[in-house]
Amino acid sequence: MNDKLTSKQLSKKITDEYMEDAFHAHDNNKLVGYTTAISPVEIFVAHDIVPIYPENHAVANLTAKKGVELCSVVEGMGYTSHLCAYARSDLGYRKTGVTVTRGIPDPDLFLACNAQCFTLTKWFQVLARRGDLPVFVFDTPEHILDKNARKEIVKYCVLQLKELISFLEKVTKRKFDYDRLKEVMKYSAASSILYKKFLDMAQYKPSPISIFDALIGMAIAVYRRGTQECVDYYQTLCDEIQAKVDQGIGVLPKDQEKYRLYWENLPVWFKFSDHAKLLGSYGGVILTSLYVHAWSFDFDLNKDPLETLAENYVNRFSNSTIEDRADMAMDLFKKYSMNGMIMFMNRSCKAVSFAVPTLKDILTKRTGIPALVFESDMGDQRFYAESQVRTRIEAYFETLDRLGLAQKTAAA
Amino acid sequence: MWESLNLKDVVALARDPYPSIRQWARDTGKKVVGSTIADVPEEVIYAFDLLPVTILGTHKPLKKAPSHLPDNACSLARSNLELALSYEGDLFSGFVLPQVCDTTQHLSDIWRINFPDKFVTSYLAPRQADRPSARYWVKEEIERLIDSLSGWLGKKLDNGALMSSIALHNENKAILKELYEIKRNFPGTITNKQFFAMMKVSQQVDKAEFNKSLKAIKDGLKMKKSKNYTDVIMVGITCDPPEIFDIFDDLRVNIVGDTLVTGTRYLQGAPALNGDAIDALADRHFKRGFFSPIHDNVYKNFEEVRQLYKETKAKAVIYVHIEFCESQEYDLPDLKDMIKKEGIPIHVLDTEYQTTSLSHVLTRAQAFFESLKGGSL
Repeated sequence: MNDKLTSKQLSKKITDEYMEDAFHAHDNNKLVGYTTAISPVEIFVAHDIVPIYPENHAVANLTAKKGVELCSVVEGMGYTSHLCAYARSDLGYRKTGVTVTRGIPDPDLFLACNAQCFTLTKWFQVLARRGDLPVFVFDTPEHILDKNARKEIVKYCVLQLKELISFLEKVTKRKFDYDRLKEVMKYSAASSILYKKFLDMAQYKPSPISIFDALIGMAIAVYRRGTQECVDYYQTLCDEIQAKVDQGIGVLPKDQEKYRLYWENLPVWFKFSDHAKLLGSYGGVILTSLYVHAWSFDFDLNKDPLETLAENYVNRFSNSTIEDRADMAMDLFKKYSMNGMIMFMNRSCKAVSFAVPTLKDILTKRTGIPALVFESDMGDQRFYAESQVRTRIEAYFETLDRLGLAQKTAAA
Repeated sequence: MWESLNLKDVVALARDPYPSIRQWARDTGKKVVGSTIADVPEEVIYAFDLLPVTILGTHKPLKKAPSHLPDNACSLARSNLELALSYEGDLFSGFVLPQVCDTTQHLSDIWRINFPDKFVTSYLAPRQADRPSARYWVKEEIERLIDSLSGWLGKKLDNGALMSSIALHNENKAILKELYEIKRNFPGTITNKQFFAMMKVSQQVDKAEFNKSLKAIKDGLKMKKSKNYTDVIMVGITCDPPEIFDIFDDLRVNIVGDTLVTGTRYLQGAPALNGDAIDALADRHFKRGFFSPIHDNVYKNFEEVRQLYKETKAKAVIYVHIEFCESQEYDLPDLKDMIKKEGIPIHVLDTEYQTTSLSHVLTRAQAFFESLKGGSL
């Protein structure tokens, strides 16, 4: 049945069924667990807890330009305007009920993994206080350069995953099934390989996908990993993109693809399609970012599931040192033959953005390619200066043209 | 050098301790190791015959930090980075940098990249404190710190030196607690500015010397029974610039308790001297009060504040908010509501490192305390 659906249809079907399951979780004796997009959700899936990601819901509202309306409400409650727009818009949704979707079900518990950011932990704590609900903080110390320390960090994380399992057993009054976890891990590992394959198709010239396709395509990896349907979705997606490659179809026609660009940070959600069109008009295609690669895990099924989970969640780009982030970005530069970079200083996301100035210095030095840096916010339109961004983009492409960088590959 | 200071000297030293620390380093030939807040076990650093200095910002202008950390980063983080990059970096042979939030995590990276020739290590304290793994991890991190320092200096840590260091630090804290008690019971005997200067300097100079000054100051105090003081408790992480304390002193406001990381939280949980030193240091971590980035429950903070308010019979709570401290900013609206619902008057002080003009703080504080005396808030 599924193989007759396109990836878009399949994505919709999976999402609809998932949300239906979430809204009826209690009818089916399941609990709803709010969790961070980067968190060992495989444990939730294996224990039949429905994972809900308030970030995803926030993205839907922010993309639909609801940011100002929702954030303003929260600022009236005493929260400052420089907190994460995901958090502010979510708290605004709680207060007003305003949403462009059907909303999300209320939580029974929280799992906050700080490999992604510290903000989510604090945001979840605010939500938990409203319902006097339990929060489990999965603390992932920075994946520092010291190799011995890394081994110890993994041990600490494994200990915490065991504590997480005990916590869930206590809340649900059900025994955790380790065999079920192994099965879930197989799906997660398989879908991760396919997801990475999908992202890496941006290597082709012309690239059949842009980062905007990747941002849409990553959704299922975020909220349905650990399931067979997630594997099926990425197989379908890869097949479709491969067909484009076989026909030489690119985001831009081959003769118009001048600049293959790297993007640092999350997107400006409410300018999503505008940016794609604007860059396209200059022959630019943003191919990738470390952000979209955050869900391409490398699970080792020969290891203890808790160990491979700990290893993978602790080494995400957002929990890595700036030096490691630079190496990860350089790998992408080489692999995707990129010849430009846009470094977005996102006021909402301190976890990613505070590394950007240093990262920019390292990457421009190592690639010899200039960077476009601009400051704005991923969801709050009040921090977006339209004419300024357009002018900077225009000036950046003029600089790249002047330097004769078009269609040159990045040098390491 | 720091063994015969009077209160006036201490206040001046707190304002800018670095020329004095430089002189001390030259005189003794010892190395200076900087760290930022919070929870680095300074006893370990001291036991290696190093001087641990808690870096608490600079009042000099920002020049280099803004190109590394944008203007929506915590002002203390930017100020600390500026101090190291522009003003005092050469004084330090190394840094031990704790990570408790997104800002401090990046700060460590930026610091390490900018000081490639110095010893820079992270102290990865757990950001959860209620489960057994947290204790395991604190101990691991203390042991890793010891190994890192050993590797850098090429010498093993002597257990006797660690015990002596702990004893010295405990002594410092015991004296500070006595001084706090005097301040609490005899308002005006020690001003707010003087007391918090002693707290700050204790975190920045050699306690073997400074404890002598503190003892002499304590012994020389003439107790006053001043009247018309309004007792308050101060809640937050740090309080800067020190002129804020002048404002309180001028308004005859006496800080009788606090939850500051650079205040009472620094004094809490003296490690025991009759067992394993590392265990004792790990235990201390969990005896300290609420610190927003690592404790997940604002109710605990509220309970601490309420208890302290009752114990000290204070008249109000002063919450010190550091501009762009994300952790505080997520907690504050609910904490403020809880405190207000309890009927406790609360005043939020918005502070920013590098601030020079405090007229807005003075005006708001005056209005608050006037209304407090008038009984209507």
